Amino acid sequence: MIYDEPRFLPGGDKFIEMELGDEMSFDCNFLVHSVAALIRQAKIKGIVELVPELSTIMISYDGDQISFADVVREVGALRRSIGSLEDQELDSRLIYFPVLYVDPWTRACYDDYCAKIAKKEWDPELLVRVNNLANLQQLIRVHSGCEYWVAALGFWPGLASHMPLDPRCVLTAPKYNPPRTWTPKQAIGVGGGLCAIYPDQTPGGYQIFARTPAPIWEPTQTLPAFKQSLALFRPGDRVRFVPVDREEYDYVERKVTEGTYQHVVSDFQKFSIKRYHAWLATIDPKERF
Amino acid sequence: MISVIKPGLETSVQDWPGRIGYWEQGFPPSGPFDSWSFRLANVLVGNQPGEAGLECQFMGPTLRFERAAIIAVTGAEMNPTLDGAPLELWASHVVKAGQILALGPARKGARSYIAVAGGIDVPPVLGSRSTFHMAGIGGIEGHAIKAGQTLPVGESKSVPGRRVKPAARPTIGESRVWQIEAVRGPNDDWVDEAAHQRFVSVDWKLQARSNRTGYRLDGPEWTFTPRATNKRPEHGEHPSNVLDHGYPVGTVNLCGQTPIILVVDAPSTGGFINPYTVPSAAFWKLAQAKPNDIFKFNLVTVDQAHELRRAIDRLCTPASLE
Repeated sequence: MIYDEPRFLPGGDKFIEMELGDEMSFDCNFLVHSVAALIRQAKIKGIVELVPELSTIMISYDGDQISFADVVREVGALRRSIGSLEDQELDSRLIYFPVLYVDPWTRACYDDYCAKIAKKEWDPELLVRVNNLANLQQLIRVHSGCEYWVAALGFWPGLASHMPLDPRCVLTAPKYNPPRTWTPKQAIGVGGGLCAIYPDQTPGGYQIFARTPAPIWEPTQTLPAFKQSLALFRPGDRVRFVPVDREEYDYVERKVTEGTYQHVVSDFQKFSIKRYHAWLATIDPKERF
Repeated sequence: MISVIKPGLETSVQDWPGRIGYWEQGFPPSGPFDSWSFRLANVLVGNQPGEAGLECQFMGPTLRFERAAIIAVTGAEMNPTLDGAPLELWASHVVKAGQILALGPARKGARSYIAVAGGIDVPPVLGSRSTFHMAGIGGIEGHAIKAGQTLPVGESKSVPGRRVKPAARPTIGESRVWQIEAVRGPNDDWVDEAAHQRFVSVDWKLQARSNRTGYRLDGPEWTFTPRATNKRPEHGEHPSNVLDHGYPVGTVNLCGQTPIILVVDAPSTGGFINPYTVPSAAFWKLAQAKPNDIFKFNLVTVDQAHELRRAIDRLCTPASLE
């Protein structure tokens, strides 16, 4: 549910967790980012930074400039100032990623896990089975069939949680148990109902079945997409995965290595939740592609 | 300029308060784990309290000063010597060009701080010189210092022969039992009363698998409320699972049955509950604890946590020197 009144929970002397609801839904997350945008605009003295997540905002504050009670009062008032969620619009870029599905690198990582940690079903086949799909071709069709919403950043520099915007494209999967000790950089995985691109060679738990040659963070800030920020994503961005063959993958990878790759980004749209809801009402969520 | 002869164990450049403003992007604050000892080291050499210095962990480095400097060593006792002669902790000293500062294994405490007048002058990354080795940013090439590297030092204007008054220093004693403050929340309504009772009554043992990312604790099993055991499926299967959410620095993150205190290099988000949070004023104790030390938790309110922090802040000034 989405709460009428948010809960404000203390996290020591520097943090307050603002809980806006307790469900994973687009609407709850859209509310999170609408409230986060209002808090940022209000530039409340003493509020240091925000970590907006699926249904919560972690607020860090400086107790010498603002009290816990005043954070609750001021941020609570901003939440109440949002009348109907339907009237909200957020800036939303659309970023395209070339993707090689069922690639050799995630396969090699899977083989390594089976050899060293535990035997398990191969990730793409597991995804086909638990989501009642016909075969790997349908997995690719379903996964690349819609736009994804950047619901949250965090955990690792550059990492983002992507939520499918079309219910017909929702894939779910259990996480690795125990987790992987490493994941190929820029592998794409699904865990719970979320999708992620691994920014770097990191541990991980999502089922991995694809890889993009386009980086999502770059500490050297060489590529044009990283001139402003080390990390590509902002909350409210949308992502589209475009299936490519090995030749195209290698071409993009060469451009990245040369430092000339241009991420494909369109930045002229606002996301209207009213129009999104109207579109949702026209589709049959049980259909697959 | 300082040459690294032996790096010690994961000795890194840190500044205070660290990398603030990038938590949403997944960059932790980093910075010195015991910022009380760190700030006093800087104050001793005439720096601003937050200027970049070295954090030494468990085994200190051996450094050659290529030009004269004013330095101070604070925090854990690592038997520092200058050209072989013992060097007093909590005091500022002249080092002549060519002299060698050597720190050994930590006898009391775990983390020692070396401040140099002028500070370690590496380029800031995202507003801070602090090393965050997992992303390879800050400090010297993004990682702990290595033998053969050189550390640039800023311009100095300082005086030797100053000392921190004993009453202004953190007490790093022989006892391996630590009284650690904790604030309830944010997710204290996910564990039951019996778990709350146990949290403050039992001895928690610090596991060896602990570092600047997280402190793992051994202790009794946790028990939960219906909020944890009867929840929407998207929260996950285990009672300690919750929808991915932001983590406070210092929080007691319950990962299955293992509590992990998330500290200065911790992840910013994840899918586990946080029943308690260790306030910033108790971080110096975490920093100076060693594996197998015992933690006893004492609950404090948010207001008390602010008061404890202010009390330490007031000590990290030149008024604490004699």
